[in-house]
Amino acid sequence: MGDTILTMKGIDKSFPGVHALDHVDLEIRKGEVLALMGENGAGKSTLMKVLTGIYKKDAGTITYEGREVEYTDPRHAQEDGIVIVHQELNMMGHLTVAQNIFIGREPRAGLFIDDAKMNADAKKLFGQLNIEIDPQETMSRLTVGKQQMCEIAKAISHKAKIIIFDEPSAALTDAEIEQLFKIIRGLRDQQLGIVYISHRMDEIKQITDRVTVMRDGCYVGTLITADCTKDDIINMMVGHVIYEDPKTESHVRPDAPVVLKVEHLNAGRMVRDVSFELHQGEILGFSGLMGAGRTETARALFGADPKESGEITIKGKKVDIRTPEQAVAAGLGYLSEDRKRFGLALKKSVTENSTLTCLPKYCKGPFLNQKEERKVTRKYVEALNTKTPGIDQLVVNLSGGNQQKVVIGKWLIGDSDILIFDEPTRGIDVGAKQEIYELMNQLVEQGKSIIMISSEMTEILRMSDRIIVMCEGRITGELGIEEATQARIMHFATLRS
Amino acid sequence: MEKFKNTPVVRAIGFNRIVLIGVILLMYLIFAVLTPVLRGGASFVKFERVLSALNYAYFIGFLGLGVTFVIATGGIDFSLGPVMFTSALISGYCLMHFHWPLWLCILVSLLIGALFGVLNGYFVAYRFLPSFITSMASMQIAKGVGSVFTKTQSVTWPASGNENSWFRYLIKWGNIPTGLILLFLIAAVCAVVLNKTKAGRYILCIGSNREAVRLSGVNTKKWEMLAYILCGLLAGAAAIFYVGAYTTVQPGLGDTFNNEAIAACVMGGTSMAGGIASILGTIIGALIVALMQEGILAMGFTISYQYVLTGIIVLIAVTADTLSRRKRV
Repeated sequence: MGDTILTMKGIDKSFPGVHALDHVDLEIRKGEVLALMGENGAGKSTLMKVLTGIYKKDAGTITYEGREVEYTDPRHAQEDGIVIVHQELNMMGHLTVAQNIFIGREPRAGLFIDDAKMNADAKKLFGQLNIEIDPQETMSRLTVGKQQMCEIAKAISHKAKIIIFDEPSAALTDAEIEQLFKIIRGLRDQQLGIVYISHRMDEIKQITDRVTVMRDGCYVGTLITADCTKDDIINMMVGHVIYEDPKTESHVRPDAPVVLKVEHLNAGRMVRDVSFELHQGEILGFSGLMGAGRTETARALFGADPKESGEITIKGKKVDIRTPEQAVAAGLGYLSEDRKRFGLALKKSVTENSTLTCLPKYCKGPFLNQKEERKVTRKYVEALNTKTPGIDQLVVNLSGGNQQKVVIGKWLIGDSDILIFDEPTRGIDVGAKQEIYELMNQLVEQGKSIIMISSEMTEILRMSDRIIVMCEGRITGELGIEEATQARIMHFATLRS
Repeated sequence: MEKFKNTPVVRAIGFNRIVLIGVILLMYLIFAVLTPVLRGGASFVKFERVLSALNYAYFIGFLGLGVTFVIATGGIDFSLGPVMFTSALISGYCLMHFHWPLWLCILVSLLIGALFGVLNGYFVAYRFLPSFITSMASMQIAKGVGSVFTKTQSVTWPASGNENSWFRYLIKWGNIPTGLILLFLIAAVCAVVLNKTKAGRYILCIGSNREAVRLSGVNTKKWEMLAYILCGLLAGAAAIFYVGAYTTVQPGLGDTFNNEAIAACVMGGTSMAGGIASILGTIIGALIVALMQEGILAMGFTISYQYVLTGIIVLIAVTADTLSRRKRV
């Protein structure tokens, strides 16, 4: 374990109405991976934004390599060797790998860009990281994992001394995560200081040396990773223990009727001849690797994307679903994996979002019945324990978990019988995750049926009564919960035809 | 300042709107002081000046109300002004040359506006064309149709006192500015539609996130198209108020009014990104545009100065809108 390279002391930052950081301390050491953990809204991102000069701090000091610094522009931090690798990649898809890495500082030969040198430099960078990527490949043709590695290469090309990874694994497959870890270990051995932000407990145990935990904008404490258990960390984050035991048997009654039957569904390359049944009161897990076609199946089923063929039967009746409008009328609800893009009108209030699925029910003729609308919204905000200052609050101001609750509330108010949860807990903190799991269990007890698409193995094993595994647009396996194991699911998930 | 912003009255009207009302008063003051200086003692403070400014405010107000709905969906309409002129040309031609009854001609004007709304709305909502391109194309069509129909002749509506001139009472009855009453009345209806009906709710939500609304099981195409139809209908109404004040319309013109209507709308706090719209703001914006026009002419400048100022106002208003949004994120 090396020397301290950067310390943040007593960092304080307020936004109107929110005390985002309350005298937070942080220490980054050379040759060490530091995990920064905390629920959403705990202040992790804000702290990193203060460090790199995106936000101006109200109080506190930052000491970097023995001198006090205060950046006003992320570019200055970057020039000094402090770089963030963002969760959302900032790459230009139509440019080549090398062009992306050296954008804005291309090597020149006279008036023109020296492509040969640029490609050779990129190659050298990849050599340092021990990875194989062709610098002349077009960026958009790489997998998300490879793109991220380019982002890392870009970071070290800035002669970085500190690299901050902000949820780098969110979109990666297990194999890609393994490779990412190899790279991170390599960087650590070159005496860089690494900050690793993630919600995934297993990764923290694997890759980090120390864990700093934040809660509600405050510094809670720092642990040596090797000396603590998962529960220790979770306890510090939320203050109470959450168990993540897998389900051992199906909770569906043996005589439960089939509510949804999908036969030979085809839609593009990603949905090939998909057939399955969903029983009343069942949570049917859809597992598979990134790009297995699960979301595409859900969208085709819901009428969000066009389908080529396939029959859908709901409660014994054949239905024709070509638009989401028809899907909702047939009793389906779809909670997208990307709530900001597909789930919420962010600049509108909680109320306005909540009744969107069934506004006609809250109208008298063409006029809104705002009294009833507010009443039902208030009811569901309470029932779901959504934390919002009020039902007129704009959704954009809520945290990820609470936004997800608004989306769930919207479909409950819409009274859909069959709910498709696509990555229901992505980007949501541990506490809210637990609440959403409980809620899903309540819903199936009430007789609703759920299709749950999830890339988190623990989530699949914990929630599902039955598991369908997809690979490359096809269903490759089906498992009852009592026979399902991670290894079995992975077997089917990689069963390429 | 924060305290003032939080008083109930200020919150109801909106702080920005109060600032804009302040701007109107300030502009009036400036014109009142400068006009006598620049024009050798001529006075700006006259009732005729107010009436003249209001004449301009009526049709800009109607156009602004219409485009507010379109901008609320996140779209834009550059065909407004020419559509207004075409409505006035064709309905006026029917009145003067075919001798149709006046009420029918007014209906024709509204109908032509609405038809252009259908045209814009169809291509934007159902064929997914950018509203910018669509409305540019329909602007050309509108100009052309008006010219062809009247054989490139201008159309002069009946002067007051003549047969078939009761439409002028819609603008002014004696010394009563009836147009202002009608503008406020229609604005109130628009405010109800935008804020208190299903249609308005869908329009605003579509402007905030079209895909989320579609995936909630809403027929977004229908409601988006409705915004364009409302916009066209109001342009058809604006036509009657234009000829009520200015009598004559020429073919091939009207595009300068697009910018003024959009300026009125954006100044009033309607966001070009969609999802946020204010009817009251648009009305105040229209009054500012009209007063500016009157002031510039009164001070002895040509109308070209107004184009420059309108352009600057649009830039400032949109910049302010973008800045305030960036701050929130």
